[in-house]
Amino acid sequence: METRKWKYEMKPAFESRLRKLMPSQSDFDAFESIVHTGPESFIRCNTLKISPSDLLKKLEKKWTVKQPFPKHPEIMLITTDLGPGELGNAVEHILGYYYVQEISSMMSPLALDPQPGDLILDLFASPGSKTTQIAAKMENQGTIIANDLKIGRIKILSSNLERTGVTNTIVTRHDAISLCSRLASHNIKFDKVLVDAPCSGEGTLRSSPKTFLMWNPKVIKKFSRQQKKFIAFAFKCLKVGGTLVYSTCTHSPEENESVISFALKNFPVKIESLSLPLKCRPGITKWEKESYSSQTSKSCRIYPHDNNSEGFFLAKFTLLEEIEK
Amino acid sequence: MKIQFIKSAEKKKLVSQLNEQFGITNIPYLLLESGKEKVRAFSGSLSKDEIMNLRSFLNIETMGLYFIKKETPIRLSFDAPHLLKDQITKNIIPISEEQLNDWLHGSDLQVVKPSGSYIISLNNDFVGLGKSNSSVILNHVPKDRRLKN
Repeated sequence: METRKWKYEMKPAFESRLRKLMPSQSDFDAFESIVHTGPESFIRCNTLKISPSDLLKKLEKKWTVKQPFPKHPEIMLITTDLGPGELGNAVEHILGYYYVQEISSMMSPLALDPQPGDLILDLFASPGSKTTQIAAKMENQGTIIANDLKIGRIKILSSNLERTGVTNTIVTRHDAISLCSRLASHNIKFDKVLVDAPCSGEGTLRSSPKTFLMWNPKVIKKFSRQQKKFIAFAFKCLKVGGTLVYSTCTHSPEENESVISFALKNFPVKIESLSLPLKCRPGITKWEKESYSSQTSKSCRIYPHDNNSEGFFLAKFTLLEEIEK
Repeated sequence: MKIQFIKSAEKKKLVSQLNEQFGITNIPYLLLESGKEKVRAFSGSLSKDEIMNLRSFLNIETMGLYFIKKETPIRLSFDAPHLLKDQITKNIIPISEEQLNDWLHGSDLQVVKPSGSYIISLNNDFVGLGKSNSSVILNHVPKDRRLKN
């Protein structure tokens, strides 16, 4: 009788696609091995409420805590074996001193590089991990418009904004395209826009193993079409010289480099090189029958086995000229 | 969301009441009433006019942080003391770590104080607000912010 190696198996088509992205057997083996393990326990110190050194003193009384990135002391890794829900049910969490956030998801706000006076649009904001990170970098100054579509997600977002003491944010409820159209038609332009787009979630296998079961190639095509619309409308809300960061938690090129290539071909934008504390692999320039702009290689593929993280993708653009409404 | 800015005269009155209760002398936020006597604090860079312009074509769900409920005495939200922590000088009840655990589980505090509102504190951490009925401090920790188990 054939024994199953893992609790959840990859669907053959999914595995075949991933093997194309990671042609080396040892590379794929390392990927496959890590995605069947649970994620690391990363938290982000909420500097709106407490300094990293003060939080460290509190947490070290009960857990072993590391700060893996000297330039980012707010990023902390709990290496103690934790019980279910222990991070979320700690006093320091209740008081909003930290946010439980996967390390790769912290990369998009770092790439966005928010500054205290900025006007920032966070198009898909719930549950608020990135919005609260942006607000902390802005020291509660400037303004964030944090948007999401569904009321249930808005409630989660609002609750996290309250807990973390964010005061510079306006929460809106709109379809992203409708929101960008309305903002553009009123000539409201942002210094920075974060498009953390809804995606097929291939990068979340460690925290959501059900993704192994739910993976479906049709969904990827649907998301890809939507994501191109989202980025196109998001550019309309960006000031000339402004920054747009596009990110997903998936590996599929249709949702990543294809969207980046679409943006580069259709809008007056420049893709920027990224300097992040995680290992990035360059974006790919060919996938199946499609060839992408060579500039897509400046985007960043974050693989779980390179960083002991979840999988992620991001790219950063600068808008060079005004876009017509 | 209903947005009604608190006028400066009313803000002065609120500061005066908060001064009497907790020693607060300044609220460096734009205050707006969002319904049910709830007042929110906004620190963003947009002016009142810019916010009302946005309001005319956007569906704004919330803005800023829930700050106070207008009742007598004024009830600060769970998170408000943190915003003004450098100004809070009176009506503070210090508690122990053991009391904190009970408090964050939703238990009333077995401390006798004259009736009124009190800010609960462990060392330098403000952990919400309670109201004394002269025999215990009634717990005002919101249910979604309580410790479970």
